[in-house]
Amino acid sequence: MSAGDQELARDLGFLEAYTIGLGTMIGAGIFVLPSIAANQAGPASMVSFFFGGMVSLLAALSLSELATGMPKAGGSYYYVNRALGPFFGSIVGWGMWAGLTFASAFYMIGFGQYFLSGLGSYIPLLAESELGITVAALVMAAILTGVNYYGVKETGSLQNVIVLSLVGLILAFLALGALSGPTISEFNPSGWPAVAATIGTVYVSFIGFEVIATSAEEIKNPSRNLPLAMIAAVVTPTLMYIGVMWISTGTLSIGALDASNIPVADVAAEFLRGFASVIPFVSVSPGVLGAVGSIAMIVGAVLATISSANASILSAARVNFAMGRDQILIEWLNEVHERFRTPYRSITATGIITLVLIAVGAGIGTLAEVASFMYLITYALVHVAVVVLRRAEPADYDPDFRIPSVLYPFVPILGALACLAVLFQMVVSFEPMVLLAESVVGVEIALPFTISVVGIIGIGIIIAGIAWYYAYARDRAPSQSLVGDAIAPEPAPATGNEGQYRVVVPVANPETERDLLRMAAASAHAHEDDSAELIAVNVIEVPQQTSLSQDVAFEEERVESQQELLSAARDIASELDIGLRTRAIVGRDTGSVILDVIEEEDADHVFLGWAGSRSTREHVLGSTIDPVVGRASCDTTLVKLGPAGTPGEGDVMVLAGEGPHSPVAARRAAEFVATAGDDATLTLLNVQQPAEEGDEESAQERGEALIDDLAERAGIEFMQYDREVVVAEDIESTILDVATDYDTICVGATRSGPVTQAVFGSVPETVGEQVDRTVVMARGPEESTMSIREAIARRLST
Amino acid sequence: MSDSLFRRVVVPIASKDDARATTRALVSQNSVPETVVAVHVIEKAGGAPDKASVEQRERDTEAMFDIVRTQLSGYDVDLETEILYGTDVAETIVEAGHDLDASAIVFTPRGGSRWIRLLAGDVALSLISESDLPVVVLPDEPEVEDE
Repeated sequence: MSAGDQELARDLGFLEAYTIGLGTMIGAGIFVLPSIAANQAGPASMVSFFFGGMVSLLAALSLSELATGMPKAGGSYYYVNRALGPFFGSIVGWGMWAGLTFASAFYMIGFGQYFLSGLGSYIPLLAESELGITVAALVMAAILTGVNYYGVKETGSLQNVIVLSLVGLILAFLALGALSGPTISEFNPSGWPAVAATIGTVYVSFIGFEVIATSAEEIKNPSRNLPLAMIAAVVTPTLMYIGVMWISTGTLSIGALDASNIPVADVAAEFLRGFASVIPFVSVSPGVLGAVGSIAMIVGAVLATISSANASILSAARVNFAMGRDQILIEWLNEVHERFRTPYRSITATGIITLVLIAVGAGIGTLAEVASFMYLITYALVHVAVVVLRRAEPADYDPDFRIPSVLYPFVPILGALACLAVLFQMVVSFEPMVLLAESVVGVEIALPFTISVVGIIGIGIIIAGIAWYYAYARDRAPSQSLVGDAIAPEPAPATGNEGQYRVVVPVANPETERDLLRMAAASAHAHEDDSAELIAVNVIEVPQQTSLSQDVAFEEERVESQQELLSAARDIASELDIGLRTRAIVGRDTGSVILDVIEEEDADHVFLGWAGSRSTREHVLGSTIDPVVGRASCDTTLVKLGPAGTPGEGDVMVLAGEGPHSPVAARRAAEFVATAGDDATLTLLNVQQPAEEGDEESAQERGEALIDDLAERAGIEFMQYDREVVVAEDIESTILDVATDYDTICVGATRSGPVTQAVFGSVPETVGEQVDRTVVMARGPEESTMSIREAIARRLST
Repeated sequence: MSDSLFRRVVVPIASKDDARATTRALVSQNSVPETVVAVHVIEKAGGAPDKASVEQRERDTEAMFDIVRTQLSGYDVDLETEILYGTDVAETIVEAGHDLDASAIVFTPRGGSRWIRLLAGDVALSLISESDLPVVVLPDEPEVEDE
């Protein structure tokens, strides 16, 4: 898809993004929570709201950086999975889904309270009762699920009208409430610990801004609009919440607030009574004026709770989709409806869970706190993800918005700690928790602290996420965690190459994979027995026209065979007793991907398989092999496997020519023979043209001297090897003849540098092409980027 | 044939099933179009959150285009594909028809009860009544068993 099309898909400007966030934030929280919060912490719960806002603001900063770097559907889940891998991805994915369903249930019960309790006093039929509230909540949740299943079109203007009228309503409430002169008797009746505990309860009202991140793919000019909308959508409601708490606790007693199901409406009714006398010209009874205010707030609350729940259900479907995209969730769930173009299965699943949560009657406070719990976990990991991505710096991550440098390590660190602190005090209280009473086993078994019900549910959901990872996601989701990259020190300058000997082995063919890995392992073993490591790479190539993620979905088969190939590689490696890492990569061009891997891994050696046939005009040995052989900055070995026998065993022969890379070929041969032990012999072969008249030494002697010199240069003079010198006029055809007497032929590149006609040189390539044996072509690192170690090694060997 | 109605047709595809039905109908005509531009409109809410992720629907669209591509592969037809975005499906198709220099808009009706059409929107009716390009409605051909 071209960039132009991408722009067309983005139709949310700042105002739309802001109102979407605001519409979710000003939900049940502002209308329902004043009662719970006042009961827990009194007027000081304003402080709880303030800190809740601060925790969210920190999260909004981190999320903005991530979302502008990767404006994709899925929000926090996507970033965490990308940065920390599928293990944490599973936890956050399931956590967010659970959080959104608990929040939806919370909003819906809030809806039920206002709808029934509010209208009940005016319409006797809808008298207030627990059952009535639950039924109203269930009906509304079912309706919302249906609306989203059928994809009934909601227009942007309607969304804006609802949100702006809500904002207007709350501003009017704040203004008139402030004019009525609220008086706070005792600011902090329950003490600061209660204030801290209340942060966890009210945090549910701050999860709404996440909706902006989950819709990041739809936002116009995301680098500007996304952070602005997100920060504004956190700051505005925070101020509103504080104001509403101030007026509520200043107008009604804590007892009255706590007893009310519709606290904000009651507060409005109370303070409006006082305005009856100041209205000019008409006489209005205080009761009527109060009723008008109350009804206005009830209508507002009904709209707000519906809009919040609706946004949550849609967000949940986005999270499901993103999880399916990463193979963490069953793709089945993300089928788009033939007719309605909605993710109907995902919507239905979210709807059913929400209905169940409403029906079990967990209590509105518990629902709110579990939703808070899940989002606090999510944001804690989001902060970690920012740090990981900044350190790992993957090539495709270049956020337009960055946390300002003066705030950088401070924001994510403080943010994560703040999330964990709120979580901790939600979950743990320092009272002994009795696990088994004394009467049962004779001794009382107790924990020194108590884990709250919310903590148990939340931890249960996390454990379920982990279990899901091991049961389902681990084998399917490509591990792409960047944590390793983030922890690793900056790539060391090429002064030394201490540490592991790393061999990169691109694998593509299940039939040749084993032999290739065996030979690579032989080479690796010869270097440092304990720490040598193979890196098996498989690249799924996608054409330029398709987006990388798009193609992967359609190519499930390719991804599957990639996984099979790499898991086979792991099995082979464990048989060979060598360390192996696998890298599954989706890329445009296999050759350049392999070169990148060599660079990233600081590899010492790359081991490629070759089919043995020449390619088109454009490439000599193949579009993948040419660039790697031409530009790899490490030892490069190209292997054409022979028709029979185990490659690298039997009679191994090195073509001892004068080319610059013959010693490398000899070293490879020696490595194979050393690993094969008694099953192999090593021969160094040199073909000489007959000596001219008057030469001091014979052709035979010259050849033998050359072989010994080569063995010395290769550092294999201590090994047992046979010297064979053949004297013939036509060197090339003689080599081809003699080569068939051996099982494996090793030949060094005769030329270096990216050349067009022959990558390895014409003799090696002719041998590779025409000799029906295992042929190993080898060369050292490209001269231009030769490592200093290599240079020193050469100096020492001369 | 260069001036015919079937010179270059825009073919709106609504779903994977519709992709099968429409392509089948296209090739069972006496005169198969020279160029088929298969399009699918990803409906935008224009300011509210969409009913489904854009990327999710883009993937589904590619699957539809794949079906069209496969079914047309045996015929002498040039196929182009285009994902469109708009708040009004019929309007977006007609506009794209002009932009893409189409000789006609060709589609197969999808049926469905009045209730379904009310919910999903009756794009067929809007296309016929609002288009200022020729509109050809092809009958839905029955599926051949051995496909």
